[in-house]
Amino acid sequence: MGGVKRSIIKMATFTGSMAPVLVLWLAMSLSGTWAVDKGNFKTCDQSAFCKRQRALKPGDSPYRALLETMELTNTRLTLQLINDNNKVRLLLELYRLQGNMTRVKINELKPLKPRFEVPDVLITEPSTEPLSLLSQDENGVVLSLGTESQRVIISARPFRLDIMEGPEVLMSLNSRGLLAFEHLRMRKDTQAEPEGEKKEEADPANQAEKEEEEKVDGMWEETFKSHSDSKPNGPSAISLDFSLPGVEHVYGIPEHADTLRLKTTDNGDPYRLYNLDVFQYELYNPMALYGAVPVMLAHKAQRTTGIFWLNAAETWVDISSNTAGKTVFGKMLDYVQGSSETPQTDVRWISESGIIDVFIMLGPTPKDVFSQYASLTGTQSFPPLAAVGYHQCRWNYNDQEDVASVDAGFDEHDIPYDYIWLDIEHTDGKRYFTWDSHKFASPKEMLQALEDKKRKMVAIVDPHIKVDSNYKIHNEIRNKGFYIKNKDGGDYEGWCWPGSAGYPDFTRPDMRAWWASMFAYDQYEGTAENLYTWNDMNEPSVFNGPEVTMHKDAVHGAWEHRDVHNLYGLYVQMATAEGQIQRSGGVERPFVLTRAFFAGSQRYGAVWTGDNAAEWDHLKVSIPMCLSLGLVGISFCGADVGGFFKSPSTELLVRWYQTGAYQPFFRAHAHLDTPRREPWLFGPENTALIRDVVRQRYTLLPYWYQQFYHAYRTGEPIMRPLWVEYPQDPATFALDDEFLIGKDLLVHPVTEEGARGVTAYLPGKDQVWFDVHTFQKHNGAQSLYIPVTMSSIPVFQRGGSIIPRKMRVRRSSSCMTHDPYTLYVALNLQRTAEGELYIDDGHTFNYEKKEFIHRRLSFAKNMLSSVNLATDAEFSTGSWIERIVILGASKPSKVTLKTADGQESQLEFDFDASMSVLTLRKPGVNAGLDWNVMLQ
Amino acid sequence: MHFHMIIVAVFWFGFVDSRKIRGISSSYKRFFRERKSFLCIDGSKIIPFEQVNDDYCDCEDGSDEPGTSACPQGRFYCTNLGFRPHYIPSSRVNDGICDCCDASDEYNSHAHCQNACWNLGQRERAYVEGQMRTLDEGLQLKQQLIEEGVLLWREKQAQLRELQQVAEDLQTKLEERRSRKQEADRLKEQTPRPPEAGDGRLFRGQNSTVTGTFKLLDSNKDGSITVDEVQAKVALVHDEERVLSEDEAVIKDTHGAPGVGEDPPLKVADREWEATNLKKVEEAYDTVNMEISDLREKLAIDYGPDWEFLFLNSQCYKLKVYEYTYTLCPFNQVTQQSTAGTEVSLGRWGMWEGPPKNQYGRMVYENGEPCWQGGSRSTTVTLTCGTETALRSVKEPSKCQYIMDFQTPVACQPVLKQRGIHSEL
Repeated sequence: MGGVKRSIIKMATFTGSMAPVLVLWLAMSLSGTWAVDKGNFKTCDQSAFCKRQRALKPGDSPYRALLETMELTNTRLTLQLINDNNKVRLLLELYRLQGNMTRVKINELKPLKPRFEVPDVLITEPSTEPLSLLSQDENGVVLSLGTESQRVIISARPFRLDIMEGPEVLMSLNSRGLLAFEHLRMRKDTQAEPEGEKKEEADPANQAEKEEEEKVDGMWEETFKSHSDSKPNGPSAISLDFSLPGVEHVYGIPEHADTLRLKTTDNGDPYRLYNLDVFQYELYNPMALYGAVPVMLAHKAQRTTGIFWLNAAETWVDISSNTAGKTVFGKMLDYVQGSSETPQTDVRWISESGIIDVFIMLGPTPKDVFSQYASLTGTQSFPPLAAVGYHQCRWNYNDQEDVASVDAGFDEHDIPYDYIWLDIEHTDGKRYFTWDSHKFASPKEMLQALEDKKRKMVAIVDPHIKVDSNYKIHNEIRNKGFYIKNKDGGDYEGWCWPGSAGYPDFTRPDMRAWWASMFAYDQYEGTAENLYTWNDMNEPSVFNGPEVTMHKDAVHGAWEHRDVHNLYGLYVQMATAEGQIQRSGGVERPFVLTRAFFAGSQRYGAVWTGDNAAEWDHLKVSIPMCLSLGLVGISFCGADVGGFFKSPSTELLVRWYQTGAYQPFFRAHAHLDTPRREPWLFGPENTALIRDVVRQRYTLLPYWYQQFYHAYRTGEPIMRPLWVEYPQDPATFALDDEFLIGKDLLVHPVTEEGARGVTAYLPGKDQVWFDVHTFQKHNGAQSLYIPVTMSSIPVFQRGGSIIPRKMRVRRSSSCMTHDPYTLYVALNLQRTAEGELYIDDGHTFNYEKKEFIHRRLSFAKNMLSSVNLATDAEFSTGSWIERIVILGASKPSKVTLKTADGQESQLEFDFDASMSVLTLRKPGVNAGLDWNVMLQ
Repeated sequence: MHFHMIIVAVFWFGFVDSRKIRGISSSYKRFFRERKSFLCIDGSKIIPFEQVNDDYCDCEDGSDEPGTSACPQGRFYCTNLGFRPHYIPSSRVNDGICDCCDASDEYNSHAHCQNACWNLGQRERAYVEGQMRTLDEGLQLKQQLIEEGVLLWREKQAQLRELQQVAEDLQTKLEERRSRKQEADRLKEQTPRPPEAGDGRLFRGQNSTVTGTFKLLDSNKDGSITVDEVQAKVALVHDEERVLSEDEAVIKDTHGAPGVGEDPPLKVADREWEATNLKKVEEAYDTVNMEISDLREKLAIDYGPDWEFLFLNSQCYKLKVYEYTYTLCPFNQVTQQSTAGTEVSLGRWGMWEGPPKNQYGRMVYENGEPCWQGGSRSTTVTLTCGTETALRSVKEPSKCQYIMDFQTPVACQPVLKQRGIHSEL
């Protein structure tokens, strides 16, 4: 869905007087290239606080720790810091958190008014562990971080923090002296309080402050293009640097259309985190996009750590490295000469307001970091099974007849799908929660027709509300005072799809509760259980606002929009998901897709990468974009299959389906101005190619669903970079043209036009990998050239794994509920394998009440067995084991099935000697029971 | 009565068979005669007969599981007594959705399927009967329209020939006028410029443009000029010449110059007169030629083997869909008018674009108003058989690409008649 251009077109059609100007504007923008208009978005230089902060260069920090103010209780340490230049004092709080984390909070000791601290992101107040004092002198303090020889050294002058384990420094804070804290202050030029002035004169701190202000503009007002930011609170930025010794690879801080491995930013702008609706975004640069998760992972072979910078204001992240500039030859020279300094990555975070609240996750493994982060912000919500199927979207399916005919097209061409989507045109004049009375005259009938085929629908509900006194939603929000206010106290109004629109203040719990209640079946007319929701434009997008978003001086109760900006989208999705839960009385799982997001958004649904384009590079970048999101907890990620803007070539479309089928959120989408591209419109051959890959997705749904369950339980990413599973293999550290699903499937999609082959890296020295299509075995720790045709999707199953599939692909995932399983057992060099099988009802919260089946499947010593992993859980299934395919097997003479009641029976089998594939025919045993199969 | 007995009989036999082998048609029964073993229909494998329809796929071609969902490439035969039998993909067997109207596909699912074949059959028979009536009626109407089309075609051809004749006549006249004017111009050099005179009445008040002339000639305002019309007007030119001559005579009388052979004022009037006349004839000639090429162009269009589509040529058909009114003028153009009144071209006549079997089943109109994202609007019109000629639906599945359903008797095809209900009856 949509970028700015859409709006302009629509505006031109219904605002007579503005039309000529807009048409001219549009004509100009059309004549240009497809790239983003960078001039619409700020560079660091154009963002006053970023410019001010970045002007500070590494050096001695003006901050000094006042050790005499130190207070150490069982759970926390507090200590005052003083800026020797202006004498403003800060309060440092340090916590040791359960699970190997350290939290550092820095705020003003006595702020003029409270500074914003981000609520609703942490799932609970994190549990602390005792800190103890190891030693102290006038230069500093050494604290013990629990049992593992971990220490924090607080140096007093200048202030710095070093986190050590044994002799090794894991991370240093303020080691480059870039801690900065713009304290809140009274405005000088307009404040004429005599008492205040006297005070100021008496205080030498203010003297320095004055000088500071004289030097720098943009503290009390800032203008970008035609927009001015009134900044009533003046400067309030914060900044802190982190040094990561031994680290050469850092990841995360989505959302950027960039490589998985983050680049150094010395020669350009920092990575920016500021949720924005960027029209036709450009690839491979650090510009901000729709969502922001201020979490960075740092990785080296021995350890993975993470930094979670809990701040919702506009944030910039600088990355530099002492090895980045070196060529391979330079590094080799260092090595030969033995003079190499330890590689190190330095990171610096700059935010416009709020406080410093940083969680240092100390790993040591990647999975430890995922679990640490999950303990703070929660895990991926467990979606309904159907949402893991295929989604068919377009801006727009025009009317009910159109929906019916697309639905019928899928049956005619025997392609499964689960959800058909309606974009903004389905509403009555972009009034969300309504239907166009001509085109969607009987939505309930439409939904019932879909339900009859066990299919579902998603309709869009955006957070901008048409200002129209005949629109119930608007009237209620206005009457309840729920709109965000402008700086002068009136309801904030901006321009979006419906024209003039208000923006509900989703930071208010009462507003969110009201919003959630609007999804009740009696409120949101024409809806039924199989209708779900899509939240778009929730950055929020404001067409006529600065950088296409809301003015920073807009007001959310006690706070400015500046403070909460990056949280807005999270709240919209939170309230919407809550609405869906409530409408079913808490029984059914919600499904909500969002474009904007923040840390914690994983708890509310799925995310997609916004308005991409039908270009090969956009297909390629979908991989690192979703990998980066997965690393910071948001697993349910996908890109618009086919590309949103422009029209894909048939080859690109097919390749995109092949890639998207192996990414967590699998949805095709297209811009209003593009020709139709339902899967059957490109000739029988391409229809067959697309059908084949969508069916591959559906056969793998049991495995996908199990991955979602695992992500929900652990916070581990579903789609994950190779280094997560092979953390000691440097060859995997920068790979982002291939990925793993869980730990057992490796996918290297074909993302090059006209490709004849791809080179996939198969990791693991003692590992083998089986081509899932041919069952051919390959050794690990090699780069393998794989010739490809248009039907090829290089996918490999790890030797040592067991993957359940359902081979009877039907019209939708719900139609496959009772179908039997085929188990793919891929043996490793030790001739063993392990896997899991997870089964529940697929759509309710009953799994929370332990209504599920979770079994461990293991193969060892020629015996495959299924044992219960959750003995306290209970669920019954009609599904049975249809077939067992053992890859890398040898031919047995006899195969015996033994069931829970002790009965034994012989199984027929088929052995393919050329590929060493043993297929066991119809064990027939119920998938929820204990059983084993013995090969003799 | 007899009819019902057959149904009962067929039902009975069907039941006996399907008890053994579910999901096959009678023509496949020979493959499934109960023996000890079963040979996959593609001959690839022999399996024990117990493994037929045992919910496990043994044959590559799916032939061992016609009645279950076990084989990915399999198909299930719905007998659908009382309606049409047909195959469904095996994946629709026991998926909880009723696909066969006889409910035979959901023999082991939670779906509660009713046998709806008889109702469906009746409905279909009624529908097909209706279609047949429409087709019969449509074909009759089509025959008339073909006859009219042939006549119209001949008429147009005759019109063309006549226009060509007129053009020839006018050319002769034009040459004559040119030489007269040259004569008058020669005389002009000997005389002073006269006052205003000799305003040709024929073209008074009209722009001396081709359009003006066309409008003038097109006395019945039907958008085309017939030979009669041209002759009528051209005759007027002749008449006027005579009338004018009389006026000249009056002038001569008034001003008087008796006994003088060559009177200067008269010569001036004559010269003006010749100029005007020449212009008139030139314009008439141009107009007629334009009309000829126009007519030729129209006649060059493919109106079907019997010129049955010719009658659509000068017609327009409208349909209102929500806030827009669409107008289809076959072989000319398609337009869309909003309630606000702005009219947008959705394409000009392009070509026939039907599939090889039904070449005249689809028309394409191209190069309409340009679109925002490049390209221009276009419309594809599908012609379907009906007793009336009318625009039935308009859609815009993709931006700027319209599709119309246009119903007309001339789209009725006798082949349709061969189709009917293939049921077990």
